[in-house]
Amino acid sequence: MDRRIRQLAEQLEAHQISRREFMRRTAVITGGTAVGLSVLGKMAEAQGPKLRVWLFKSFVTDSNEILARQVEAWGKERKVQVEMDWATFGDREQKFVAAIEAGNPPDIGEMNYLGPSRYRPALRDVSALSKDIANARGGLLPHAERYVVLGGQHVAVARQSWPGGFFIRKDLLDAKGIKPPKLYDPDVVEMAKKTQDPSKDLWGLGQTLNRSDDGNGYMQHILWAYGGSTWDKDGKPALGTTFLKQNMEALQFSVDTIQKYKIQPPGVMSWTDVHNNEAYLAGKLVSTNNGASLYYAMVSKKHPLAEHTQVILTPGGPAGSFSGPSCYSWGIFKTSKQVELCEDLIRWVEDEKRFEEYMQASIGQAGPVYKKRAENPYWKSDPNFQGMLQNVLRGTWPGYPGPITPAAIEVQAQYILCDMAGRVVVGGLSPEAALKEAHKRVEDIYRIRSRG
Amino acid sequence: MAVPAAELRSKVVASRGGAAGLRHVLGPDYRMGYIFVAPIALCVLSLVAYPFCYAIYLSMTHKLVGMPPIFVGFENYIRLTWDGFFQRAVVNSFVFTFGSVIFKLGLGVLMALVLTSNIRWRSFWTGVLLIPWVAPTVVSALNFLWMFDGSLGVLNYLLVRVFRILPQGVGWLSEPGTAMASVVAVNVWRGFPFFGISFLAGMKAIPAELYEAAAVDGASKLQRFRHVTLPGIKNIMIIVVLLSTIWTFNDFQIVYILTKGGPGGTTMVMPVFTYETAFGAQRLGEAIAVALYLLPALAVTIMVLARYMRKGRRR
Repeated sequence: MDRRIRQLAEQLEAHQISRREFMRRTAVITGGTAVGLSVLGKMAEAQGPKLRVWLFKSFVTDSNEILARQVEAWGKERKVQVEMDWATFGDREQKFVAAIEAGNPPDIGEMNYLGPSRYRPALRDVSALSKDIANARGGLLPHAERYVVLGGQHVAVARQSWPGGFFIRKDLLDAKGIKPPKLYDPDVVEMAKKTQDPSKDLWGLGQTLNRSDDGNGYMQHILWAYGGSTWDKDGKPALGTTFLKQNMEALQFSVDTIQKYKIQPPGVMSWTDVHNNEAYLAGKLVSTNNGASLYYAMVSKKHPLAEHTQVILTPGGPAGSFSGPSCYSWGIFKTSKQVELCEDLIRWVEDEKRFEEYMQASIGQAGPVYKKRAENPYWKSDPNFQGMLQNVLRGTWPGYPGPITPAAIEVQAQYILCDMAGRVVVGGLSPEAALKEAHKRVEDIYRIRSRG
Repeated sequence: MAVPAAELRSKVVASRGGAAGLRHVLGPDYRMGYIFVAPIALCVLSLVAYPFCYAIYLSMTHKLVGMPPIFVGFENYIRLTWDGFFQRAVVNSFVFTFGSVIFKLGLGVLMALVLTSNIRWRSFWTGVLLIPWVAPTVVSALNFLWMFDGSLGVLNYLLVRVFRILPQGVGWLSEPGTAMASVVAVNVWRGFPFFGISFLAGMKAIPAELYEAAAVDGASKLQRFRHVTLPGIKNIMIIVVLLSTIWTFNDFQIVYILTKGGPGGTTMVMPVFTYETAFGAQRLGEAIAVALYLLPALAVTIMVLARYMRKGRRR
């Protein structure tokens, strides 16, 4: 409470002033403060335009710092007050949802692969800017184009792909004379069986099927690898219909890695996104699927396993090897009154010299979204980058082989495929029943999302 | 015959006309009263009544992020009723809530009994036992997440490596039985000190003479507990159980941090389901319907318990 109002309240209590006098003086103080604040606000406005920028805080801390510095430098150069805030893995959806619903989103935000589709109603058409940037860089890579171009309209400007890869302990494979696996079945299974030693808590594969980004990514690409998918070419549900046989085989294999082959550690079904990183760094895994941030963690901290690790293409199945790299992008919100400044900021941070600085610090995390960036010699500077790059270049998207749809995005966000696997591994359902249950959920989502 | 004050006031008001009557009853500056009450009335209306009514309205809409709501009546509630994952979330919520509250009740009584007995350093032990209640839930839950970890957790390390009780580690959060037991255990660990400290206050208020009289009558320790202690703390017990039931039913942090409702939905409880529907599916109307679905049942439970408590007090 304001000191002056408290004094007045004390005087009123001591009957030194009347209630009427108390009301009068309080009104004067409150009104005076309001006027003062308003004047201060106008003075702040006179100092220059203000831009609210939301960046994404990844596990690659060096790159985060570089991006923040670049944004600050832009603010100084253009004399713009930049109000920077970070979204993280844990709060990005909540922040965006709350801000959009409150009608108060930032001017510009760095979104993950779900963003353009999910927040499309609140995003400005940035086709001219996006095309301009893409054309100067040889055009968008196919998967990136799918993410940012919706209904023929560019709703975001692509920035980077986060490549994934299959991390293997080369030293352990060499000791047993095993070649890096190309297929999940039988290569990964045999590699895992031959190299693991459960008595020493060393496990052949660490791949959770639990509700997590890692579980989602794996479940999605294993369906594709077996020739299946959640969606058909027209974007209609196909989990338990068109691709029933292929999806069943993929699900059965995934469950078998835990129940039949026993190549996964106990507790793998409770893992979140950090658990496989921790287990791998602790030397308890021979192989795991992960984003490039795991490699960054090893190299930047000079972890002894860095030199014993090889990052290879995601293993495949009967239909080939697939990967769904993430795509981060810039979105300008419709509520922004500083569109030109937003566009200028995007051009500034996407400038090739600045992006190069960012990419060099990321140690493989800042994958290309533009064709020319994929040709950067940087990707040949480390043999492990080749697997990551190839995963990006062959990248697919949620909804594949159909288009990206709001329903496909929601199936990802609701971990439907992870739940399907979980219902078999821990729920005791048969793969057929779990697939049928998941298909019904997918159909419900499709029906709801088709309303618009 | 005496006339009740309220009746007298209303007669006076009626006889003198509206404004004059009110002035007589409430005082000459009664209009100032409205001014003083207005801010709080406005606060209650704008911060409680309006959001609540708006939430009920939104629960009857198809509302997606950034889009205007489309009214769909009771469709969200009907769909939820037949949704298998929602049904499991309801069952899990009751298992989680009542499993937790029962253990918290037992441990709370035990804690209070120990702290009322003649032990050394009682204040110290009281402080120690309050730590779980004082520690932030997020911190506790994250610590337990590490402890329960199948590969790197201290629990498996002790059981397998140090004491050699088990040949291989247990996936505490990855098996349906142990996952639910684990989240219940963390909730019990966190919540039992509240029970204990409340019962302790209740037990200290029981007159020592009652125990002395019971002892003179030849009552054993167990009989004294049953016939003196328990009736003495009955009202506190009801209040604490009621509050804890509401809090536990709405507990989000522990389950979300430990399992996110997994594996395979085996620990999915209502608050996490609401959260997933709101921020995962981003179907805001349906998320609010999830949150409001069990409100009538909880309200009835609370009313029944409250009525029971009032009856007990009258007796």
